Amino acid sequence: MTSEIKIGLEIHCQLTYLKSKLFCPCYNDYRFRSPNSNICPICSGLPGTLPLLNQSALEHASLLSISLGCKIPNEIIFYRKNYFYPDLPKNFQLTQYNAYGITSIGVDGKLEYDTGSKKHARIRRIQLEEDPGKLVYENNSMDNSFYTLIDYNRAGVSLVEIVTEPDFIAPKDVRIFLNKITSIVEHLRICDTRLEGAVRCDANVSIGEGRRVEIKNIGSFKEVEKALSYEITRQKTMSAREIEIKAETRHWDEARKITKQARGKETEEDYRYFPEPDIPTIVLDNSFLLALERNMPELPDQRRRRYITNYELGDHVSQVLIDNKELSDLFESAIAIYPAPKAIANWIVSDLIKFINKNNHNQSERNHEGSTSISELRIEAKHIAELAKLVDQDMISRTTAKGLINQMIKTGELPSQLVQKTNASKIDDQNIILDAIETVFKDEMSAVNDARQNSKATNFLLGRIMQFTKGKADPKIALDLINKKLIEST
Amino acid sequence: MVSRDEIKHLGWLSRLELTEEEISKFTLQIEEIIGYLNKLDSVSLSEIEPVRSRKNISELRKDRIEPFRADPLEGSKNRKDGFIKGPRLN
Amino acid sequence: MVNLCSLTAEQIVKGIRNEEFSAEEYISQILERIEKIDDKVNAFVVVDNSGALEKARHIDKMVRSGEDGKDLGSLAGVAVGVKDNICTRGLRTTCASKMLQDYVPPYDATVVRKLKDDGAIVVGKLNLDEFAMGSTTEFSMYGSTHNPWNTKYVPGGSSGGSGASVAASECAISLGSDTGGSVRCPASFCSVVGLKPTYGCVSRFGLISYANSLEQVGPMGKTVSDVVMVMNSISGIDDNDQTTVDNEIPKYTIKPSGNIRIGLLKEMVEGAEPEISKCIYSAMDLFSSLGCECKETSMKSIEYALASYYTIAMAESSSNLARYDNIRYGFDLSSDSYEWNAYFAKVRSYLGEEVKRRIIAGSYVLSSGYYGKYYLKAQKVRTILKQEITSLFKSFDILIGPTMPVMPFKFGEKIDDPLKMYMVDINTVIANLTGIPAISIPAGFSKKLPIGLQIMAGEFQEQMLFDAAFLFENTANIQRSPEL
Repeated sequence: MTSEIKIGLEIHCQLTYLKSKLFCPCYNDYRFRSPNSNICPICSGLPGTLPLLNQSALEHASLLSISLGCKIPNEIIFYRKNYFYPDLPKNFQLTQYNAYGITSIGVDGKLEYDTGSKKHARIRRIQLEEDPGKLVYENNSMDNSFYTLIDYNRAGVSLVEIVTEPDFIAPKDVRIFLNKITSIVEHLRICDTRLEGAVRCDANVSIGEGRRVEIKNIGSFKEVEKALSYEITRQKTMSAREIEIKAETRHWDEARKITKQARGKETEEDYRYFPEPDIPTIVLDNSFLLALERNMPELPDQRRRRYITNYELGDHVSQVLIDNKELSDLFESAIAIYPAPKAIANWIVSDLIKFINKNNHNQSERNHEGSTSISELRIEAKHIAELAKLVDQDMISRTTAKGLINQMIKTGELPSQLVQKTNASKIDDQNIILDAIETVFKDEMSAVNDARQNSKATNFLLGRIMQFTKGKADPKIALDLINKKLIEST
Repeated sequence: MVSRDEIKHLGWLSRLELTEEEISKFTLQIEEIIGYLNKLDSVSLSEIEPVRSRKNISELRKDRIEPFRADPLEGSKNRKDGFIKGPRLN
Repeated sequence: MVNLCSLTAEQIVKGIRNEEFSAEEYISQILERIEKIDDKVNAFVVVDNSGALEKARHIDKMVRSGEDGKDLGSLAGVAVGVKDNICTRGLRTTCASKMLQDYVPPYDATVVRKLKDDGAIVVGKLNLDEFAMGSTTEFSMYGSTHNPWNTKYVPGGSSGGSGASVAASECAISLGSDTGGSVRCPASFCSVVGLKPTYGCVSRFGLISYANSLEQVGPMGKTVSDVVMVMNSISGIDDNDQTTVDNEIPKYTIKPSGNIRIGLLKEMVEGAEPEISKCIYSAMDLFSSLGCECKETSMKSIEYALASYYTIAMAESSSNLARYDNIRYGFDLSSDSYEWNAYFAKVRSYLGEEVKRRIIAGSYVLSSGYYGKYYLKAQKVRTILKQEITSLFKSFDILIGPTMPVMPFKFGEKIDDPLKMYMVDINTVIANLTGIPAISIPAGFSKKLPIGLQIMAGEFQEQMLFDAAFLFENTANIQRSPEL
């Protein structure tokens, strides 16, 4: 029996940049509103109401289809998925379904991704569907609650579902793939992935000939890799002990970091799909598709190639920039102010990013669902541009500049302002440096002697000068003067 | 052809609590109805497309916000702090 | 005092405008009449006395202050009854079901809003078979409506209240809904005019769905002219219903006509009770005498129509009625001691027998493995019917036949045999399946019970229907008011 791992994904992205819901003109932005204050007769499922399909939702979903290499059919249809649940206002969900002909917004696509080696995953289909409402329980516990509280504010929000073939062979690959999906939907401006609940991912895993296990309830992209690693280990362990792996649905328990059997009677639900009579077949004609291609925003891969070609940035640096659209946006705004692409890219990728990751780390400890935005650090393009410029013009040393970043993100002050405040200018006044050299030479006589023979010792002296001047001395000038002094005094 | 068990299952699927009497009655009646619907078997339909109305994407609703200026659930007796209160899930 | 109740909508609008009588006088008489006779007819589920009088007074104020005719509205002052599956804001809308027993909609259906905008006065909600499923109005939680011509007989259904109320002069016009004949059947049994418009011609926003790919709101009245007036008010594309179409017809008219090419569908005539066929042949003779070209013709695919209809209707209803779980609207039954599945199953057990039957059968035909055999096939049959009827309309302007294959029958006669009950729809379902418009007009009587003539025309050819119907009505002069 082979131990070939097969992983497939079902990714849900909310179309957060729409103004209204998928089938009614309520606010799409449902977060932080009091319960049942963002509803209308349509999305609360009142009798006699009809779904009113949002044109822009089709446009956004189509952009995604194109960017994932999918074919968009000429005609699309919505279907009813019939089942009962308290969060479903109509006790059916409006979605798309391809069993009786291809009618969803995208099929048969492919997305390449890079894990060190070039890989790709096939996209089986992309479909539009509506989000259900939200359920809240007494004491936050579904198991102990005597009743369920239902909030329909989210009901009817647009979701786009991406279903892949089981083409992934490792959790790490999945993480890289999901990063790329994140980058794509950000670049398309169809999903702000930082919003709580904006992206979800279910996964299915099988090993070798074993049955497929579905994992649901994974709360964020970040948790997917963990859930998959756990499940694969679980299945491998069972396999080694010759225990049969049942085909089942399991839930990811984020708190305990395990997958557990889904509770309740799992009789296979018969969804009795049929086409929604209240929504006509939608014709997506050529003029629509052409307009879409024309207005397509620049995709991450295109952007990366442009960085490499036009700005001669390295592969790795380019990748880091486009993985987070905020970084690449910051980069382009900064070079528009001060055209030094390589320098600015480096500042962002080597230095600024540490602060973002650090912030991320803090937030995940606080169980924050979203990821850090640069706007939460008070840094803008002009900050980075100015920093690069000051260093380039030798106004401050690189070391000083690194130190400034810490300040900048907290106060939002420009580098030039900070420099003035702390008098952080590089000391290029030779006299001041000469003074420093004299003092240091007096203290480090043996090193001075060594330095006359061995240039490596010179670096030690330079280090002491930098220390003495609190890093403010211009190293180039200081080294020059040290060498001169060494020669002088022989 | 249509069995009692099928009717029970369909009752569950439709969330309809049925008495034994109802199950028996419906089994007979629905068997008869489905028997009549089997007439459709005798039509040759392989080349035919089903009827559907069609619209161009340009005819759909524009993405604009129009909040509903009343509480659609005002008449509901089961409100608690704004939520709709429903039965427990466990 | 002149009996204002028996006036047509046309006469009422004129009378109020010319200050021959006031709207308040008229509405008061209407409400009195309802009070007096609705015990026998049971057409109304709820009557809005205060609302109707208030609206009438408002119209009288406008008349007295010399409002221009247009501002007054094309239907100013006319009493209209609305089938209780059409939403009326602030007025209970129950679908004759326990599941909506206490439901008060927060919005008006588009058709109601349009009638109100044109000055019509909603006097109350009309009885129906529960959720519009039935052909006799016997399946209502408010008891059956009775045929005003003979109260021992059914008024037809599911819009029984709509037909009976107009026949009994309890209102001048009414709105019903027609999914498989539910406007035309009561029109035929109650001897009034009832229209099923082309699918997509009239908005379904606010019509509580039973089978949404088949149904339309339909007007009923004593005369073709009244029905035309209502159509001019309620038809048209609606942003709230994406299945409505812009049919580009500005206004329907009543005008003299002739030279209509008429096809008599032999399958329908041959399948009817003898006194009905006799009446229809007489109708055909009348048309001929008026200069129309009449020929018998045939539609072979009719034999599959009923099977196709019930498959689709039951399938769609099983899904459309899923939302009735008593969580947001319904009746008083606390969910406190229940687990949610048990609660849903318990409350929904209060649905009526016919509704449950259709939901179960509908779930059956949609269930995994059966979709291709039933629902998909039934939808394809519609295409075949459409193709055949379109080709017939190349040779004929209209197709006629009896609306119903049977005379009105007594209560209880067909209620224990579902399939037997379904068979009465055999002539009417074709129009719903193909989307074409169809009208039923009074054609005669047999043993003092009404017979209706059905006229069908091509898609969006309502004007053709009105022309033919008016031509017949003008000459045939069938009695309009029973002795109630």
